[in-house]
Amino acid sequence: MSYIGSHILARELKKGSAELLILSLVEDQPRHGYDIGSLIETRSGGVLRFNVASLYPLLYRLERRGWIQGRWVEKAGQRRRRYYRLTPEGRKVLAAQRDSWVEFVRAINLITGIENA
Amino acid sequence: MPDWKQQVRNRLGGSGLPPEHESEVVEELAQHLEDIYERALRGGATKEEAVRAALLELNESEPLSRELRRARPTRRLDDIAPGAPRRLSMLGDLRQDLRYGLRTLLKNPGFTAVAVIALALGIGANSAIFSVVNTILLRPLPYKDPERLVTVWEEAAKQGYPRDTPAAGNYVDWRDQNQVFEAMAALADETFNLTGSGEPERIEGRRVSASFFPLMGVEPQAGRAFLPEEDQPGATRVVVLSHGLWQRRFGGDRSVVGKPVTLNGETYMVVGVMPPGFQFPDREAQLWVPIAFTQQQAANRNRHYLRVVARTKPGVTTEQAQAEMSNIAARLQQQYPQSNEGLGAVVVPLHEFLVGDIRPALLVLLGAVGFVLLVACANVANLLLARAAARQKEIALRLALGASRLRLIRQFLTESLLLAAVGGVVGLLLSVWGVNVLKAFIPGTISQVGDISIDGRVLGFTLLVSLLTGLVFGLAPATQASKFNLNETLKEGGRDSASGARGNRIRGLLVVGEVAISLVLLIGAGLLINSFLRLRSVNPGFSTDNLLTMGVVLPQQKYTDAARRAAFYAEMLRRVEALPGVKSAAVTNWIPLIKQGDSISVNVDGRPDPGPGKRPSVVTRVVSPHYFDTMGIRLLTGRHLNEQDRADSLNVAVISETMARKLWPGEDALGKRFTPGSPTSTNPDDWITVVGVVNDVKQMDLVAEPKSQMYLTYEQAGFFAPRHLVVKTEVEPRSLASSVRSVVWEIDRDQPVSNISTMEDVLSESIARQRFSMLLFGVFAGLALLLAAVGIYGVMSYSVAQRTREIGIRMALGAQKRDVLKLAVGQGLKLVLAGVAVGLVLSLVLTRVMTSLLFGVGANDPATLAVISVFLIGVALFASYIPARRATKVDPLVALRYE
Repeated sequence: MSYIGSHILARELKKGSAELLILSLVEDQPRHGYDIGSLIETRSGGVLRFNVASLYPLLYRLERRGWIQGRWVEKAGQRRRRYYRLTPEGRKVLAAQRDSWVEFVRAINLITGIENA
Repeated sequence: MPDWKQQVRNRLGGSGLPPEHESEVVEELAQHLEDIYERALRGGATKEEAVRAALLELNESEPLSRELRRARPTRRLDDIAPGAPRRLSMLGDLRQDLRYGLRTLLKNPGFTAVAVIALALGIGANSAIFSVVNTILLRPLPYKDPERLVTVWEEAAKQGYPRDTPAAGNYVDWRDQNQVFEAMAALADETFNLTGSGEPERIEGRRVSASFFPLMGVEPQAGRAFLPEEDQPGATRVVVLSHGLWQRRFGGDRSVVGKPVTLNGETYMVVGVMPPGFQFPDREAQLWVPIAFTQQQAANRNRHYLRVVARTKPGVTTEQAQAEMSNIAARLQQQYPQSNEGLGAVVVPLHEFLVGDIRPALLVLLGAVGFVLLVACANVANLLLARAAARQKEIALRLALGASRLRLIRQFLTESLLLAAVGGVVGLLLSVWGVNVLKAFIPGTISQVGDISIDGRVLGFTLLVSLLTGLVFGLAPATQASKFNLNETLKEGGRDSASGARGNRIRGLLVVGEVAISLVLLIGAGLLINSFLRLRSVNPGFSTDNLLTMGVVLPQQKYTDAARRAAFYAEMLRRVEALPGVKSAAVTNWIPLIKQGDSISVNVDGRPDPGPGKRPSVVTRVVSPHYFDTMGIRLLTGRHLNEQDRADSLNVAVISETMARKLWPGEDALGKRFTPGSPTSTNPDDWITVVGVVNDVKQMDLVAEPKSQMYLTYEQAGFFAPRHLVVKTEVEPRSLASSVRSVVWEIDRDQPVSNISTMEDVLSESIARQRFSMLLFGVFAGLALLLAAVGIYGVMSYSVAQRTREIGIRMALGAQKRDVLKLAVGQGLKLVLAGVAVGLVLSLVLTRVMTSLLFGVGANDPATLAVISVFLIGVALFASYIPARRATKVDPLVALRYE
């Protein structure tokens, strides 16, 4: 993948799917911001990367919508960190977004013929 | 390791968030950066590289702070500031806006009170004037199909009478020959002595054609109108009463119909009573009798005394009627060259005739109150702007919470409209009071004054004006808010941006506008005051001091011959002059300044007859010998009239200097002769000899240039009967009124005495219209000046408060109080001078519409312009001096600590 290609892909993907990514990552366990950021970067093999300036606004927006909830957690010997976990409302949204994402990818594949190539 | 929190803080700038939220955000982000830093170190980076990697994360810090503002706060702020929730309906938004606006207004009672008072004054003045305009100019006249009613006049423009009262002969021909009118009626003024039960009373009445009442389309409330056969000479005498007279004199008794009353010593049968509110052509007429022209009267084309009213046929325009009447008049000119030479006919719609005099004054006043309202708007807009500056935090918060700018504009406009609505309601209350005051000022000649009231149209007008007002003064602050730059505000660290250059400019412009408009109004008022003073100082040609006047008209039916009348007057004057406190007394056919008079045209001895219409016309006063002393009219040459000038002696006249100059230019008028008849007459009784010349008297009104005037004794001039008694007193004239009246009743207990007044009051009444315009305009201009002064004061106070720090620094650096004062006042002066310049240019254009209201001054009278400008600058300087002085009291230390 060329640099330009990956750049555009990353931007488009982020736009459409950032919410889905974050909701997915906090589905099973609460995570803090740095954790979420690192996971997105490593699991996408470095293609997707959110820096602080774009990640936190997203988190706050999701929190404001009531899909995730942040809570300060103090562990022994560590400084307190803010952990985000999925709310019941967020769980419904995640399910719906996942469905529509699958739908979307299938549609793209059908058009571009990637799946059956 | 860097202080990450500090780094984050630096990038965020002031977030405008509550501190506890801000510190949480900072803590969270700082931790993230620290994690990245440590990971980089673990990955083998140098400390510098690790720091750089971490800080890269904050690269897009602007969207960050914006996003934070939008996303972070979890507290619901809607209770404080509506804005964000977009799902609410329009109506819901409106209700919310209204509730919020109301709360904001109630929270600032001082601000709200000032704004509401300014608006109420502006709107109230507009409603009051509009209710007058509505009643007099807009509301249809209380007659059937009033738009088809016209008045018809003779036109003798060449002799100075563009609208003259027609002669009966011409009226009859107009009536019989025209095809454009459904009906035509003639009216003649006549005063009746009503005697019988109760005090004898003098009553204004009208002789009218039988067609008059059906033509006006108004039915009597009791009885009937005149029958055509009653409008014939010799028919039974009948009378129709006005509602007012019926109530006052007959107690509203319906059985008066069919009963006799005594008018001018003769018995008239009451046939009808008109409904309340029927008044034509003015409020004075209290009864009507048939005009019943005799054959001789109906053929007379020389006595011009009628008023003619007509109803056009449906579909006939005023122009068509005019064309027809001009044709008829042209035919009559050929047919009767002796009398009708140069005589046209002019058709004037009734409404125009009734309101013609006061229309320009009313329209100018309406314009003036409009200006007052503009000044009030500018003031409130200024207040709102200053308050918007103080509401920066609120606006920032609401923008940050995602309120759209449109929504903010709406909120601001809602508040303005709310203010305007409250101002409108208070203004309406003020106008109810104002209308009553206005009624007292409006000259009595306007017949609809009694009907002036606040009706649906006035309410609608007030509503519209209030809404417009709200939009006008609300727009500036609203757009200001919409241009509000969130980032700028936050960068300035919470300093308000409306206090920045743009805010000041708008405020400055508003002040310039206020000053300009006030100047125009003040100049208008100045011109009217100037006119009025000039009018008041016009020498009327007689002295009004200690002069009592009353009407004493002998009924012709009772005093049939001249000898009896002369005997009555002689006896009355003798007894009145014998009263203690009376200096002298006299009678005259007309006192000056009541816009009434008789005139005759004359031929001069030894000169050929210039023909009808070209003979000099002379205002004629028929007087008793002591008239000149009583009135204080000065003898220039010759002698006064005296007791020796009797019916059987040489006919003599005292003439005015203008008549002497016009008829005998460059000659001595004494001993010269003239005649109302033919210049070839050899009968000495036809000739009048000039025996004295006196100064000119303003006979009709103070404005008109004096015409030729002459004075004849009532014994020699039998054709004009005296109507007025004038008494020069040594004491307060009114204190003698009842004793003078008793003297009259001693001689004839049925003789009415009317219109008791002082000459001072007569003069004052004659300039009532000018006083009306001047007083109202003056009040409005004063109001505008007050509002403008408050506006200047407000802006200067605000500006000084803003510049406290700058002033402190200047003073710390050695500036003297004088310098500071100069600085602050200078700023105000600049605005005021700009306003004066604009106002002067405006007034050059606008005062031209006032020309018809002015007397003796031009619409651009330089003296008035200069005096008023200086006056306004003085007031404005004073208004900016108070806050400027406050500036000099700034303590540099306090000022520098201020921020």
